[in-house]
Amino acid sequence: MALYLLYESASGYALFLAHGLDEIGQNTEAVRNSVSDLNRFGKVVQLAAFHPFESALDALNQCNAISEGLMTDELRSFLELNLPKVKEGKKLKFRLGVVDTKVGSHIHEVTKIPCESGDFIHELLRGVRLHFDRFLKDLKTGDLEKAQLGLGHSYSRAKVKFNVNRVDNMVI
Amino acid sequence: GRGGMKGGSKVVVEPHRHGGVFIAKGKEDAIVTKNLVPGEAVYNEKRISVQNEDGTKVEYRVWNPFRSKLAAAIIGGVDEIWIKPGARVLYLGAASGTTVSHVSDIVGPTGVVYAVEFSHRSGRDLVNMAKKRTNVIPIIEDARHPSKYRMLVGMVDVIFSDVAQPDQARILALNASYFLKAGGHFVISIKANCIDSTQPAEAVFQSEVNKLKQDQFKPFEQVTLEPYERDHACVVGGYRVPKKSKIAV
Repeated sequence: MALYLLYESASGYALFLAHGLDEIGQNTEAVRNSVSDLNRFGKVVQLAAFHPFESALDALNQCNAISEGLMTDELRSFLELNLPKVKEGKKLKFRLGVVDTKVGSHIHEVTKIPCESGDFIHELLRGVRLHFDRFLKDLKTGDLEKAQLGLGHSYSRAKVKFNVNRVDNMVI
Repeated sequence: GRGGMKGGSKVVVEPHRHGGVFIAKGKEDAIVTKNLVPGEAVYNEKRISVQNEDGTKVEYRVWNPFRSKLAAAIIGGVDEIWIKPGARVLYLGAASGTTVSHVSDIVGPTGVVYAVEFSHRSGRDLVNMAKKRTNVIPIIEDARHPSKYRMLVGMVDVIFSDVAQPDQARILALNASYFLKAGGHFVISIKANCIDSTQPAEAVFQSEVNKLKQDQFKPFEQVTLEPYERDHACVVGGYRVPKKSKIAV
């Protein structure tokens, strides 16, 4: 059964397809040992699809939803477009690994996509985080940090009740 | 910058053994970091401007060990801080960002500091400080729930933790499981009173170290933060240390 992985980054949503996992074993320890090396990890985990966020505001909306364990419409259409179709009554041929059980159960509730989390998925996604910018050919060095910086500021400014869109606006 | 430390030209600045940290030798020695944003102080700290032989000027900011546990640990003689130029650091318990600003100086323009703080009051200062320092990514969120800020953080080389919470070992472990690379390092400041005020400090430190060991951390060293902080210790070590290098350590 195919295993997909959902990775939420500051620049967009990514889907990875993990295959040949039998080679490194289905256990957490074996995955741990193989994630550090991109040559080994890149053989079992490959980028399947990427959905870049449209704007800074879009990124902030996605980040707020993910932080609360919610699936947005954008995430839903990204998943439904890029994952095999879920047909009622038929045996499923894939599952989706997510790092957070909350967002996993929301995805499953709405789309019936079977979601899975746990130590094994967590380890695989650690590997994705480690190598993420090298999986995405279009992402140049420093691009991801720039996205994180912009999103970190807008996310945090909203938390401390600054005006998100203005640079200088002290609220007392 | 006319910072305090009178007699600017008489002050000599030498590199400290920790990369990115310097010692200003004047009437009294002080540890300093090279100001990433020359001309600006972050919390009214003193600045020292030193003229190079070729006439160019470099500005340093004085790092007060009474206000920063990391500075206290450095003066206390910690062997390694792992925070160095180019490093990617996750900083838990960033508060208003005074120490974060020095960490930002140390890692420099090629490094990144993900600074997590839950309190909105100090969070505002943190966000404002980060406006000027583009290597600092402010994250106003609860460090107990790294899942909430997983979109904002990449894999890091070092986690510095100063959360002063009874469950700080668990908070560090949880964040490491998301963001700390295998073979990465941690620096944790432990305030005995915050964990268990009924036990002697040394017993509290020992029990915290034991908790860390159960979560794939390997403590290398422990220094006291006396005389700058009471009943405080700083523990430094590795995460998921590869078996081979164990001998070297």
